Amino acid sequence: MNDFIWLVRREFWENKAIWVLPACIGALMVVAGAFGKLEIAMLHAGQEQSELAGVLFLFAIGGVFWVAMGIYSVWYLLDCLYADRKDRSVLFFKSMPLTDSATVLSKLFVGVVAIPLVYFVAADVSALLIAFVVSVRARLVFGNILWRPELWAQLQVLWLYVIATGILWYLPIVGWLMLVSSWAKRAVILQALLPPLAIMLAELLFLGTRVSCFVLRDRLLGGGYAALRHPIHWSLSTGEMTPGVWQLPDPVGFLSSTDVWIGVLVGVAFIAGAVQLRKRRTDA
Amino acid sequence: MTSSSPLIEARGLSKRYGSFVAIDRADFVVQPGRIVGLIGPNGAGKTTALRAVLGLTTYEGELSVLGREPFAERALLMQEASFIADVAVLPAWLRVQQAIDFVAGVHPRFRRERALALLAKTDIGAGRRIGELSKGMKTMVHLALTMAIDARLLVLDEPTLGLDIIARRGFYDALVNDYMDETRTIVITTHQVEEVENLLTDVLFIDKGRIVLDCSVEDIGARYAAVEVADERIAAARQERPFHERRALGKTLLYFEGVDREKLEGLGEVSVPSVADLFVAKVSAERAA
Repeated sequence: MNDFIWLVRREFWENKAIWVLPACIGALMVVAGAFGKLEIAMLHAGQEQSELAGVLFLFAIGGVFWVAMGIYSVWYLLDCLYADRKDRSVLFFKSMPLTDSATVLSKLFVGVVAIPLVYFVAADVSALLIAFVVSVRARLVFGNILWRPELWAQLQVLWLYVIATGILWYLPIVGWLMLVSSWAKRAVILQALLPPLAIMLAELLFLGTRVSCFVLRDRLLGGGYAALRHPIHWSLSTGEMTPGVWQLPDPVGFLSSTDVWIGVLVGVAFIAGAVQLRKRRTDA
Repeated sequence: MTSSSPLIEARGLSKRYGSFVAIDRADFVVQPGRIVGLIGPNGAGKTTALRAVLGLTTYEGELSVLGREPFAERALLMQEASFIADVAVLPAWLRVQQAIDFVAGVHPRFRRERALALLAKTDIGAGRRIGELSKGMKTMVHLALTMAIDARLLVLDEPTLGLDIIARRGFYDALVNDYMDETRTIVITTHQVEEVENLLTDVLFIDKGRIVLDCSVEDIGARYAAVEVADERIAAARQERPFHERRALGKTLLYFEGVDREKLEGLGEVSVPSVADLFVAKVSAERAA
């Protein structure tokens, strides 16, 4: 356990972008909130629209961080078992009494738990600061829209739920990225993209079908669909959103989906492969 | 484990990369308390042999290091064995202080005060990033970290490659003065045979994946002789079956193994070959055979 904490700390030393990037995004958003033009239509929002406006406000901020985190995580996972082979520092780390599985698991933990949590905190802090800044600028109108404790609390739970289900849903993608990171001797991004592209192309050419294409598309885009109740309706005129934030998570449906567990199995297999390659590869 | 059992024992150790044989059924043992030089030309299999010993690669044959099977038990092995594989492998982003904290955090046999004391002898500040340091300074940081680990086996693979003469001297001086004692064993590979010659207690010559010579330095004098032979006596000298001949500066040197010294005295001036000369002679002979 102690070793694991040091391994995670090591990742934060090496990858300062884990917290610098969300801090910069948050700072930019706060600056935009402080000096940007406030939307006139929003200023006239009545009481009934205010809940939806509040939800959309927090969704928008969360969404920006969610996208940034997705891009950064992919980069991190592709780099995490490659960078130290490239600069040969793997030879230093392998001289320590640390197992290769502990090393790989520490990087997995950073990629799917630590990084999302850092972005979660950054999104929260940014949302609070922006809400504060905006309500100081237009206190009468925005005050009742943005400061809704029950909405904030619900969104905290929703984000954590999305992170937790995202780990399971995206595990095959995460595992694949780590496997390539552990395998590649160069051109990591290319090596991550080419095999799936080759499979899809081969399937299309020889079988005339596009099953692998759809499987990949559903895996990449279907995380929210599997984890949340749908369809989601919202109406700007009535200010209603169904289901409400509190009703969005569908943990029973998610955990009883075979797609989820097939993905987890594939992901675990890829990660086990990454550990085996890690034991054998010491040079890029 | 008793102190008399070997620290490293290899039987039929082989390693193939496709059709290329990097190590070919090598047998060797390393006894505790020795400083062994693993000496061979480029591509001889030195690094591969050390990688196998350190559990960094798979292999065929039997290999036992500190009573463990290296590849399967690398993490456990690294509690008692440490290594510096090549110069400048500390990552550029790491700070000296972080390096000390990290090793102190994960290595049960690391002594922080010792690392700090060793670093205090250099002028490398704890806040410096490895990437800012010169190659020689990086090596000294790595050496300080490694020497602060109370290991039974230390493996050094070309630890001074690309360093200037002052940094190289500093490295070996620190190793001999501050680290080596009778409880430790060092295996070292280097191109600069002359530089480690006085350090070594044993030599292992390797060429094309095969062990060419496994001998203690004390035994070299008893087993091997170089004789400077005048031209008119060469024919007679060849009767004693030298394994290697070398002409340099108008002189002919003949190398003998296991030939009575008195017999050789009659042929010319007899000397004990240096490790470097013996290495060249053995490898040349092996290749000619």
